[in-house]
Amino acid sequence: MLLAQTPKGSVLIQNATILTVTRGTLEESDVLVKDGIIEKIGKDLSAPKGVETIDASGKYLMPGIIDAHSHLALDVINEATAPITAQVAMADVVNPFDVGIYRALAGGTTIAHGLHGSANAIGGQSITLKYRYGTDNPEDLFMKEAPRTIKFALGENPTRVHGRGKNIQPRTRMGVEAIIRNGFAEAQQYKKAWEEYNAVKDKKNNKAIPPEYNLKLQTLADILAGEIIIHCHSYRADEIYMLINVCRDFGVDKLVFTHVNEGFKVAPELAKYTMGASVFSDWWAYKFEVYYSTAYNSAILLENNVITSINSDSDELIRHLYHEAAKTQRYGGLTDDQALSLITINPAKQLGIDQYVGSIEEGKQADLVIFNSHPLSVYAIPQMTFVDGVKYFDINTDKNDQRLKVSPTEMVEPVYLQGEGESCMHGVEFFTNEEASFNHSH
Amino acid sequence: MRKKSLIIYILLLLPILTYGQIEGEVLKPQGGKFLLKGATLVTVTNGNLENTSVLLSDGKITAIGQELNDAEARVIECDGLYIYPGMIDSGTRLGLVEVGSLAETQDYAEIGNVTANMQALTAINPNSVSIPVTRVSGVTTVLSVPSGGLFPGTAALINLNGYTPDQMYTGFKGIPMNFPSSARRGRWDKRSEEDIKKDVEKAMKETNDIWERAKNYMKLEDAGAELKYYPEMEQLAKAVRGELPLLIEVNKAEDIKNALKWIKEKEVKKAILTGVSEGFRVADEIAEAEIPVITGPVLALPSRNSDRYDAAYTNPSKMLKAGVKVALRTSDAENVRNLPFNAGFAAAYGMSKEEALKAITIVPAEIFGVDDHLGSIEEGKSATLFISDGDPFEPKTQIKHVFIDGYKIPMTNRHIRLYQEFLERSPGLVQ
Amino acid sequence: MIKRLKILLIVLIWPGLLFCHSAIAQSDNSGQRRVTGTYAITNATIITMPGSILPNATIIVRNGLIHMVGTDIKPPKDALLIPGDSLFVYPGFIDAMGDQGVSAPAKIDNPKDMDPSDPPNDIAGISPERDVLDYWDAKARSVEEWRKVGFTISEIVPKGEMLPGKSALVIFGNEGSSNVITRANGLYAQFETPRNLYPGTILGIMAKWRELYRNAELKSKHASLFVSSANGISRPEKDKTLEALYPVINGQIPVIFKTKDELEIRRALKLQQELGFKMILAGIESGSRLIEDIKTSSSKVILSLDLPDDEASKLDIEDASEEVKMAHERVVDAYNKVLAEAGEFEKAKVPFAFGSAEAKDGEFFKNMRLRIKNGLSEEAALAALTVHPAEILGIKDFAGTLEKGKLANLVVTTDSLFKENTDVKYVMADGYLFEYDIDKTNNGNGEVKHILGTWKYVSETPGGSSEGTMEFKEHSGELCGNIVVDDPDGSGKITRELKDIHFKSNKLSFSFSVMVEAQKLYVNVKGAIEGGKFDGTLNIKDMGSYSFKATKEPDFKF
Repeated sequence: MLLAQTPKGSVLIQNATILTVTRGTLEESDVLVKDGIIEKIGKDLSAPKGVETIDASGKYLMPGIIDAHSHLALDVINEATAPITAQVAMADVVNPFDVGIYRALAGGTTIAHGLHGSANAIGGQSITLKYRYGTDNPEDLFMKEAPRTIKFALGENPTRVHGRGKNIQPRTRMGVEAIIRNGFAEAQQYKKAWEEYNAVKDKKNNKAIPPEYNLKLQTLADILAGEIIIHCHSYRADEIYMLINVCRDFGVDKLVFTHVNEGFKVAPELAKYTMGASVFSDWWAYKFEVYYSTAYNSAILLENNVITSINSDSDELIRHLYHEAAKTQRYGGLTDDQALSLITINPAKQLGIDQYVGSIEEGKQADLVIFNSHPLSVYAIPQMTFVDGVKYFDINTDKNDQRLKVSPTEMVEPVYLQGEGESCMHGVEFFTNEEASFNHSH
Repeated sequence: MRKKSLIIYILLLLPILTYGQIEGEVLKPQGGKFLLKGATLVTVTNGNLENTSVLLSDGKITAIGQELNDAEARVIECDGLYIYPGMIDSGTRLGLVEVGSLAETQDYAEIGNVTANMQALTAINPNSVSIPVTRVSGVTTVLSVPSGGLFPGTAALINLNGYTPDQMYTGFKGIPMNFPSSARRGRWDKRSEEDIKKDVEKAMKETNDIWERAKNYMKLEDAGAELKYYPEMEQLAKAVRGELPLLIEVNKAEDIKNALKWIKEKEVKKAILTGVSEGFRVADEIAEAEIPVITGPVLALPSRNSDRYDAAYTNPSKMLKAGVKVALRTSDAENVRNLPFNAGFAAAYGMSKEEALKAITIVPAEIFGVDDHLGSIEEGKSATLFISDGDPFEPKTQIKHVFIDGYKIPMTNRHIRLYQEFLERSPGLVQ
Repeated sequence: MIKRLKILLIVLIWPGLLFCHSAIAQSDNSGQRRVTGTYAITNATIITMPGSILPNATIIVRNGLIHMVGTDIKPPKDALLIPGDSLFVYPGFIDAMGDQGVSAPAKIDNPKDMDPSDPPNDIAGISPERDVLDYWDAKARSVEEWRKVGFTISEIVPKGEMLPGKSALVIFGNEGSSNVITRANGLYAQFETPRNLYPGTILGIMAKWRELYRNAELKSKHASLFVSSANGISRPEKDKTLEALYPVINGQIPVIFKTKDELEIRRALKLQQELGFKMILAGIESGSRLIEDIKTSSSKVILSLDLPDDEASKLDIEDASEEVKMAHERVVDAYNKVLAEAGEFEKAKVPFAFGSAEAKDGEFFKNMRLRIKNGLSEEAALAALTVHPAEILGIKDFAGTLEKGKLANLVVTTDSLFKENTDVKYVMADGYLFEYDIDKTNNGNGEVKHILGTWKYVSETPGGSSEGTMEFKEHSGELCGNIVVDDPDGSGKITRELKDIHFKSNKLSFSFSVMVEAQKLYVNVKGAIEGGKFDGTLNIKDMGSYSFKATKEPDFKF
């Protein structure tokens, strides 16, 4: 496959209030971007020849928003046929034509973590995407610098899909732990078998034959070797605690929890043993395992030194994560920088990309968003969004219809009343014109 | 004697109790007289009044003025604070479901296509955990709506305080109608355009038959006939007669046009359109028909892939500009507290802040015919209001006090109690 | 059903059989056997290969092979003469990915207590060892239907899911022969799954491919290790799935990957790049944007003969809003791009073939003409049906052109191949002649749904221009309708019921009556429908014919 260079731009943004997130707020300052990297931050900077200058007087500049839990732009979400499917990779099913990518950019989101669904105790490998909308090559969306990540899921979803749905383990939270431990234990044996074979295979008169190649066990072995960060869908405090213990037993410390509605109940443990928690701002009560949640979750976690981020798990929510982060100011009184960190530097840390993005600092990649007012205000409207210094969203010049592909046989454009995209948890179908569905598909 | 001093002791501690809890203490809504001193009143109907006080007694706003006094009233200092009318969510399932995915807790959709007689009010759970979670945000009043078949039931407007549904009921009922829709039910709906058209025609025919039947029932009933027991028709007859309005749920542009045509053809006496997510495409037609609209949630994806990304955000303001009366709803159950944020987005994207506030206060009150006691801060109206330290649309703002029907609501709920317990867990980390 | 052993035998000795035929003839009391295997088509325009046109030429075939082609040739005495005056002769078309006569394998019941996360391979749709010939019926109607439009050889592919089996090359010859040329030529692959077991989605397919391929490589190494020095080596466990992949990993046969659109092509290219097999990308509907990547991978290309239907792009939206018009423009643009695909591949000098799987024979010529109208040259079109598939399938030694020694496969048409009204008069396959009736059995879209709805008409009569609407409905399977006309007796409009409505192919006719001064006047309308437009004549008994044109109102509101 021809590996095209992804576009990198240069631009000078002048006179903005810069919310760096990590280095405080700079009034009336400039950011100079060269070839996709923030070259200089300061006052009265000038643009080299040929570089566009944007006057951001009266406006706010913040780092591009990072969504640590998304299923946008993926043609398939769940390979739900087995409780462990570590061998599959979301990178194989990225769809660069999803207009939802543009809509996320219009909401200031520049990076999203494309995840497998939550049907399996151990799901597939995720893909960290930079929303470089407009390309027809899925690989142009891959953030090549991002480390490998993988999806785990605990609780009601895997036990419903496999146990209650197909009568195979896991059916209970006990089973979920067992499945994960079994997987890790098998991976250790697999790794040993291959190490033994590799040690002798090139020797003279070698009689050893290669073991079977098992991509699933190979991937699990990579997790044990610390090469893959786990993002685990979880809700109940006890199951969070369970996985922390399992990982400690197997020497895995690259662990991030996602959703983690009851994370606040095990905040000290999360702070000590994990790479943090990625939560909803205020979703709760849609399933029994989230009945005992609180919107103060982020505040409690952050105050207890857990690396906390707010995610969307929704094609709709990804467009206003700045508003979701602002809710922590009502539910817990977080400061501006604390609230902004939830959607910038913290998710960057959880994805292992914080040296490249997540704050406005010289040397970091130029993923930037210009707002007309402070992003934590409900009246804030994103004006322009940059990825690698290239402008992908401009509220004043973009045309309405941003679809990249149109079907040649589409008689009338279909109207869907439930605009919720795929998510681990689907929005409840309200006020449809059909008999209400008693079952929610997740 | 001891009881009285205990009560005084508790009352003195009231300011501390609003965000905390003494061991063994139970927080209850408090009745009685209250004097809210020196606030900025956002009356909605009479502009903003600075440094003004409000006297609440017998469940009503009894006086508004600058130099109010009442010895019996508990005083709440409101210097630097704002008083707003309680916010009204014109479309929810609050009280009709407890845990979204558990069928046992779902009480909003009954079996059958014509079940107009199903009373949402009966099934509302006054003790739903979501109610205290909602009302501390300043949303005091919601319309809880059944869903399901063509005529799924009778919706009811409730205030979020009370121990029985009747105590919560606040004077409005309506008959929702799920107008035959030509939209796709989901990404999995792969019917051809012809099939959809056929399905809609069939559903329209059925709808017209049922309406005809309800009309006949009404005629006979009004003529004094003694009719056999037919609860569904008896209730629908009320809609035909104009006793109860029809809340017509319709979203796609073409369907809205058909609904407007239908309303005219059938001479529906009182109709309200709900949903209306593509209302901006047919705003002039809706304005011309003078039919009010309840729309939302504002925080939603556009209905079409070719739509501008903010189509749902700008929808309410576009309809308003065309002259349509617009109220906002969340369509939610456990997160009705996001109503002010929906209004905030509507304000950011075209509606002014004042209009957006009206869309969740006086406008729904007028649409539901309850503006005699809800929707604004005026003498004589119900003491259903909240006090905040800023713009309630802004997430940064804290809601300090909430009153519903004159009762001071305890500013606590399970979310807050969990926060208080777990902010600093004890024991903390045990190695 | 043809038993495998029999095929093998026939495949091995079929050249010999032909000689047998002529050496030992027998009596035939049904009188069906042909009298001679030698034919001569004389004085025709013969296109021996794209770009090589011989006017007034003659071609002689004998016993299944082309004996001679040229001008000034005297046909031998035993040749049946076919006058080719004003006829055009082309090499018989080669279908590079067809499914004529192929049926799906019977559904196997899931074994009891099957673990859906680890099902047996054949239930999971992984059966690379299967042979398409086990599911092939040479006498199936689809064979005859495609032969009728000129196809003589087809590389047939099996039906199923992810790895349904191996393809085979067959010829659309006479009933008496097995008609198999070669088998196990390619490994057919698709992005299809049984959904409820692993692999259930594209995710699983991609992962499974990587695992199967690697394990086939390992097992192959193990097997050769065992063969070269078995002492001390545990014996390799037999695995029919992995063994079926050996010819692929050894580079002997390609993977024929069914890939319809860009994303599927990219996924197949990704696997090919990672694993290193030879590949043919087959059934492409839309992929010209990826030509550079395809070239880099050295994959061969088979485009799908199918084109999207034009209903959406031909919609009349005169009265629609600006918003609708803009949306419609994009649909038309997308439609035109698909039509231009073949032209793009030609422009980029990619020698592609065509595959018929999922296409309709009735639309073959129409679709070819659409492609030619949208950028494909006639020469490239013919090449894609003859020399290119011969090259891709490795059969140019005996197929693809009309040259001495090649198989006697040819198509004879009444006019130049891609002209509007050309008809196929003869097809010869494997030296057997098939003759076709040319009576314009036009497979137009006689589907009723195209006329249902409201039409706006305009009719020019001596009385002036009259306009109105007419409506067609379906009632209990019967067509009915009405028409609104100017009342001849008054100044308003009246509605008349339509009777005798006939709609076949694209021809529509109906009649109605009007009262004029107490006299009943019968009116008959007939004409042809193309897209949403009706062009016909209105006949009033004893009063003459007048023009009658109508346009269909859009059914669908935006």
